[in-house]
This record gives sequence, C-alpha cells and structure tokens, in this order.
Amino acid sequence: MNKVLIKNGTLILPQTDRIMEADVLIENGVIVQIESGIKDVKAEIINASGCLVGPGFINLHVHFREPGEEKKEDLLSGSRAAVKGGFTSVLCMPNTQPPIDSPLLISYLLSRIREVALVNIFPAAAISLGLEGKAMTDLGLLKDAGAKALSDDGKCVKDSRLLYRIMTYSKYFHMPFILHEEDRDIAGEGQVNEGSVSVKLGYRPLPKVAEDSIMARDLVLAHSTGATVHFTHLSTAFSVKLLEWFQNQGAKVSADVTPHHLLLDDQSVIHYGSLAKVKPPLRDTSDINVLKEGIQRGIIRILASDHAPHTLEDKEGDFNQAAFGISNLEIAIPLYVKALIDDETVNWLEFWKLLSLYPAQFLGLAKKGSLAIGMDADITIIDPDTHHEVKVNEFVSKGKNCPFDGWQLRGWPVATLINGKIIMKNSKLEG
Amino acid sequence: MVKWQHKHLLGIDQLSGEEIGILLEKGSQYRDWLEQSPKGSKRLEGYYLINLFFEASTRTRISFEMAGKLLGMEVVNFTNELSSINKGESFRDTMLTLAQLKADALVIRHQSSGIPLYISQFLPFHIINAGDGMREHPTQALLDLLTMKRDGIDFTQNTVAIIGDILHSRVARSLCLGLKKLGSQVIFSGPPTLIPSGIEVLGGQVVYPVEEAVRYADVVYLLRIQKERQEAGFFPSVKEYNQFFALKENRKGFDRGLKKIMHPGPVNRGLEIDSSLVEAENSLIEEQVSCGLAIRMAVLETLILEG
Repeated sequence: MNKVLIKNGTLILPQTDRIMEADVLIENGVIVQIESGIKDVKAEIINASGCLVGPGFINLHVHFREPGEEKKEDLLSGSRAAVKGGFTSVLCMPNTQPPIDSPLLISYLLSRIREVALVNIFPAAAISLGLEGKAMTDLGLLKDAGAKALSDDGKCVKDSRLLYRIMTYSKYFHMPFILHEEDRDIAGEGQVNEGSVSVKLGYRPLPKVAEDSIMARDLVLAHSTGATVHFTHLSTAFSVKLLEWFQNQGAKVSADVTPHHLLLDDQSVIHYGSLAKVKPPLRDTSDINVLKEGIQRGIIRILASDHAPHTLEDKEGDFNQAAFGISNLEIAIPLYVKALIDDETVNWLEFWKLLSLYPAQFLGLAKKGSLAIGMDADITIIDPDTHHEVKVNEFVSKGKNCPFDGWQLRGWPVATLINGKIIMKNSKLEG
Repeated sequence: MVKWQHKHLLGIDQLSGEEIGILLEKGSQYRDWLEQSPKGSKRLEGYYLINLFFEASTRTRISFEMAGKLLGMEVVNFTNELSSINKGESFRDTMLTLAQLKADALVIRHQSSGIPLYISQFLPFHIINAGDGMREHPTQALLDLLTMKRDGIDFTQNTVAIIGDILHSRVARSLCLGLKKLGSQVIFSGPPTLIPSGIEVLGGQVVYPVEEAVRYADVVYLLRIQKERQEAGFFPSVKEYNQFFALKENRKGFDRGLKKIMHPGPVNRGLEIDSSLVEAENSLIEEQVSCGLAIRMAVLETLILEG
C-alpha cells in the first residue's frame, strides 16, 4: 500500500473557494482524508509548512516534439520539465512529424506515454489531415482512441468551409477545439509585432489584425455552430474584447494566455533577440494590461504556457530564419506569480483555478483540478516566498531557448505528486 | 370515401392523409396481383407514357416502365438522348416540343428542385415527379408507406428513424411528410453536417446520437451515403461514418428482432448498413422494390382515370 501524508500545508481548494490549514492523506493514488493533525505511521511524510498545497497544475499547451523532433524535446525530457514546473498534466499539441492526425498515431503516442511519461500526458489531435487545412480528420475515431481536443496549432484553419463543417460535426462527439489564430495571408513572413520595433530593427511586421480578424471569424463560427472552442495564447487587447462579446452571446468560447505575453512586450526583442521571437509576437504594454484585465474579469479563464522547446541551432544566427517559440515549462509558475500575484491581478485561489480547475473542466477530467476526497492525488506544492534565479542551463527540458535567464523569481514548485506518487520533493526530481 | 382530385403527382406535400390512403389501398391490391403469372392488364391500353430522366436512375425508371406496361400502356424512355433533343434549345422549348408528342403522362426526374411543378403549369400531360433535386420523391415515399402498411404497421403507433444524409435527401423529405400525414412519429439522426437546420418544419425531430434514435424507432430507415459527400467534407471518412452512423449488428439500442429495416436503395453494404442486416429477417428492403412497382401502377391508374 502506497501512502503519502502532506503535513502542515496551506491547502488551496479551488473547487469550493476555500483556503485552509490542514493535512492531506493519500492512499493508492487517491486523496482519502483532508483534516488537521492526521497521523499515519506507514505514510511517507512531506512537510509542507509555509507552502501552498493544491491540485496539480494542468497545462493545455505544450510541445513535447515526439515523434519526429526528439532533438528539441521528447516525452521523457518534457515530462521531467513538467514535474519540475509543478505540472501534473499536460496536453501535447499534434504538430509533430508526422502530425498526430489518425487514431493509429494516437495509439502509438499513448503507448509511448505509458512507457516513459512521468506526468499525465494527453494528446491533442489535428483538425485537418496532415495539418494541411484541406480535409477533416476522423474526429470520432480520434476521440475513441484517446485524443482530448483538436488543434492545428502552429497555424490557423484557413478554409472557412472546412472549419464550419468540422465544428458542426464536432458537436456529435463533444470534441473541443484549440485554435491558434493567425491569418497567414496577412501575417506573411512577419517576424515581430508591427510597430516601433519592427520599424527600428527592420524586421517584417506581424500585425495584430492577423490574429484579431481570424479570431473574429472563428468566434462567429463557434457561436453559429455551438462548438466548444478555445483560443490559445491570446496576445492582443482587441481579441479580449471580441471574446467577451461572444461569451456574452452565449458562445462556448474560452481562451488562455502564456506567461511571456504577460511579462514581455515587443521591445524585448531589442534585448533578447531571437529568444523573444515567438508566435503570436510579443505585443504592447497596452495589450498586456488588457490581457491581465481579461484574466481578472474572468474572460480569460486558463493559463497555459505554449512550452515550445527548440535546439539553440534553431534559434541562432539570422533572426528571420530563427524558429518561433520559448521553452518555459519549468519556470511557468513563478513567471505567472510575477505576472499576476505580485501586482494583485489575482489571488492564490484564483491562480489555482486558472491553472488547475478550469483546464481540468475544459478537458473533461472529472477526477482532477480539485483538492477533495476521492480525487486523483495529483498535487502541486509551492513555496510562495523563497526567491531563486532562473538558470536556463540547468533546465531539464532539452529546450534552452528562454529569455528569462537570470531573472529572480518566487513561487517555485517544490514538490509534485502524480497519482499519489512523489515525483519531485524538496525541489528535486525523485529517481 | 374521398374523391381523387389531382391531375399531377408533384409531391407528398399536396396530398392529404385520405388521398395517400386511396393510393395505398390500390397499391396493396396491385401488390397482391403482381404475384400471379402470367399477368397483364389492359386498364390503361392506348395511353402513352413518357419517362423523362435528366438524372441517372435505373430502378425508378424501370419500375415506372414496367408499371406502365403491366397496365397496357405504351412507354417511351428518354434518358441519354436528351442532349440530342435539345441541341441548344431552352429547357422550356424542349418541354414544349415534347408536348407535341401528345402523350398522356410524363414521369420526370430532374436535378433541380421544383421542375415538375414548373412544367405542370404549361404541359398538357399528367406529370409524375420521380424525384426533383432535394425537394420531393413522392412515389418513393408512397412505396415505403405501402411496405410498412403491408407489414402490419399501425401508422398511429409508429416511429420511424431516418438516418444519414437528410440534407441532400428528397426521400427523407417526402417520407417524413407522408408519415406525419398518417399519424406516425419521425426522428432524424446522422452526422450534424448532414442534418439541415430548419428540418423540424417537416414535422420530424432531430435526435442524437444515432443510438438514441434507433432505440425509439420501430422502423430504422437508412439513407444511401454518397461518396461525394465525404469529398465535399460533410464527414471525414467512410470508416468513421460506418463506426458511428451506420446501422450495425452491435449498435447499442438496436434490437435486431424488434426493429424493421428499410432503405431506398441502392445499398452501400458495409457503409450505411452492415451487409448482414440487408437480408435480415426484419429487413423490408427487397419488399420495398416490389411495392414500388405496385404503387406506381396505382399512381398511373389513379391519375389517368380519375385525375
């Protein structure tokens, strides 16, 4: 029998809006008792005094690059980074090589996950075959095989008819969409936000309208078809306004933001060079303010990280040739603490809802996202006060492409339990 | 008894329940009559029937041809020859040319909805709609109703689930209208992309998933799935269609012993229906063909002698 007892922590219960001082007893992967002063001599003890204990964080947007690009990341290195980052579940985007667009590939991925993964890794499947935007995938069969959502992440679905049809069709299977919004015709070869930086540095501009216009189309489609649609990595102020308007119309639409879009603006490219080259591009301070306001007002209900590991070769040299993306999985939580807790955009309870309860609800994970008896013992423990410096060369992720090197951050995850097993303790990976 | 008062058969929409009853009564008699051999009637001897098919059809055309011949009619078929008839003429002029052939009845199938109604306004024949676009296919609905009636189904205690491509189906429209006029309940199910919004206007109800629709049904009516619909992006693949929307032996809610199976043909075995179910004991699919011949005899006779 495998028992773990978490002592003296401050428990965060997002599902009931409560914070309490108590112990948590876990037995065989399930939370069995939440009370003060639990004693159990057989249980392994975690002393969580001074720490926050809550349901494990769930990240709706990561790239673990398997199959095909294991140089950048793989399921093992990615899941180690997740554990370090306090994430107990992640959703992998399907833009691998080959793209995850068939039930067979889902089955393959799930068998690899069973073999190597340290965290719960859920696969998303492609919306269109080969991510080509031409024909829809077998979404019913994909769901039966284990796909949790549909996404052509990396690009938008350009063909309106295709998206309209598949959204209509998806209702039969209750499959949610995760959309990456960028109109390629407008974006062209755009590299950075259109504005003073693109002018000053002479990089091709990627205007906000590329994101906003296609998002507007897809909000209309979602509203009209009744599909469940999530917009990932919002970056513009206007997209938040659009989202709110359609939410008020009753559309089943939601969104997430990444930590880098909250902490860095487009000027960062001057400083960090291609390490700050990302899609969508970093925007203006005014956008950041509206994104934060959107979080505060409950319009944006999910925090994801778009963990996009690359080799340094992919990021070096010619800025225009450098890959888009930031590796951030193991520092996403302290980054969010800096972006949202430090300036009181949200409190810890709300923080935990955005990172655990709401993403669990979106993915339909009934046994996750809550700290309660009977739930899966996926638990993250955070030390809210101790500051550490970000050291990118110590990342367990293969992706060292990260502009936050040297930042002093607080709110680091110190322990991570998955299905009742301690995978990280005292900030160290077990085993 | 209601008196028949239609010159044309343009759609089920124009008929009352009683009028449908007249045709079913007569159709049922002809269905019995068909069992004798040799057979042949002179009821419509000397009358001329033109079969005018702008859209490919074998079974409906042959069925009308045989129906006419069994009643003693002379039957002329126009199919592929049409292109040589019109030679650049307008559709209306082609029709007016046909009018000079002095036939008595014209069976027409056309890919455009509304053509039978249009030509009925100026052609001197009895017009019988053998399928117009996505609007109506009245003789198909009548033969389906006749098949159900002869199987002993009480229309007032009957629920029919029509499953598949409702969007493009004139069969679904006509059948639903007919069933409602006789007091039955109609359920539609299939991929949401193939179920048009506004379908409720026909009196049927949309039920998802297919398992639920089948559970409530006394008759499961499958529609033919055309491969082009996949190419046009209405559903992702034949495999997926078969897995989720087809009638299968192991489909939840489908009790092989209790439900009747129907299909307008031609059947795609293994696509919209398991091959083994096509000839199952409770399948009425073959009987539908014979009822089709009988009901078309009834329609021709009723229109020409009473209409």
